[in-house]
Amino acid sequence: MDANAAYGRALARAFGGALLFSFPLLMTMEMWSLGMAVERTRLLAFLLLSLPMLLGLSYYAGFEPTFRLRDEVLDALAAFGVGFLLAGVLLAVFGVLFRQGLSLQADLGKVALCAVPGAIGALVAGKQLGEGAPSTHEKERAGTLGEIFLMAVGALFLAFTVAPTEEMILIAYQMGPLQALLLMALSVLLLHVFVYRLGFPGESRRREAGGALRTFVGFTAPGYGVALVVSLYLLWTFGRTDGVAPHEIATMTIVLAFPAALGAATARLVV
Amino acid sequence: MATAKRAPARRKPAPAKPSSPNAPPLLEWISAAIGLACALTAIGFVAWDAVLGERSPPAIEVRLVEVTPTPHGFVAQVEAVNHGGSSAAQVAIEGVLSGQGGPETAQATLDYIPQRSRVSGGLVFEHDPRAGRLTLRAKGFADAS
Repeated sequence: MDANAAYGRALARAFGGALLFSFPLLMTMEMWSLGMAVERTRLLAFLLLSLPMLLGLSYYAGFEPTFRLRDEVLDALAAFGVGFLLAGVLLAVFGVLFRQGLSLQADLGKVALCAVPGAIGALVAGKQLGEGAPSTHEKERAGTLGEIFLMAVGALFLAFTVAPTEEMILIAYQMGPLQALLLMALSVLLLHVFVYRLGFPGESRRREAGGALRTFVGFTAPGYGVALVVSLYLLWTFGRTDGVAPHEIATMTIVLAFPAALGAATARLVV
Repeated sequence: MATAKRAPARRKPAPAKPSSPNAPPLLEWISAAIGLACALTAIGFVAWDAVLGERSPPAIEVRLVEVTPTPHGFVAQVEAVNHGGSSAAQVAIEGVLSGQGGPETAQATLDYIPQRSRVSGGLVFEHDPRAGRLTLRAKGFADAS
């Protein structure tokens, strides 16, 4: 029964984390309309991709200090449930769901779309709001692939909070080519400085060993690449790229890659 | 290339390290089961919609619900029903009232009508719509996102 109590506490923390991380999205109008409007195959792909992502995240920062596959699968599923239930309850309280006359698919789309950031929050909460530092040993386990995976999750997480908004498109329209290049340079620079120079907690010191150029080629460049890919994927999922000229897609991707790069850089802090 | 070479060796998930051999508590199984149910519901419904849902264009019917006389005109509450298989945004609906002198037109824009859903709004007329002949229709819409 003690184990159950401990798990209950971890679960409560997970709800807290999901709440903290997903309420900005739950209170964003575009998330509701996108939940209804996103092409169903793309939403399906997003949901299907989110499960292995949660599994990977659980491996690095679960809300329980576990390493075994069974526990990680259980944690990932529980996290999805936490995100889903939280999104359902809060959206219902906000009066977004059960609007008279709207179909069930519309409501379910809204909840499903909001469930994923909540689930990430639930898993991250284990580390952020946890008592001890159960993930110190896990941290060392993160190899290059793991590092890139974590950067991708960080990028997804931060980019997701702004990706659904109209402002991403508006900013892209307002920017000229020169400004786009400047923003790109700024993103790369910030990514590099945030991760490897500022000495935030959780920064990996051993990255310094190879020198600045080695660090840049080995980690900053892939990090920005990951940010770009994640941004493009999110824009595609939300249907922002349909019928848009290639150069405009590129600008939108660069705009969204700015928060994504910050997310990738601070993945170690958050995740 | 270099990253690919190094990765597998480090990423081994430490299989031979059962530091906590005790089984997960019951609550963990229960919450995971609830999570699985949520995931299956979400994925199942979306997949069902993606595979079997039809992609017909929005077909919007506008019908009259009730007319209320107010000091500021006759409010005709209407309902727009999208019978089609895709959603419509910024739906312009129009009501033309004829039969009492010249025709009187009132219009409104409804932000968003998902497929097979119903959204209500109001049209305001100077004359009583119940006395004349009221024609309601959707004039146009934008594709949703």
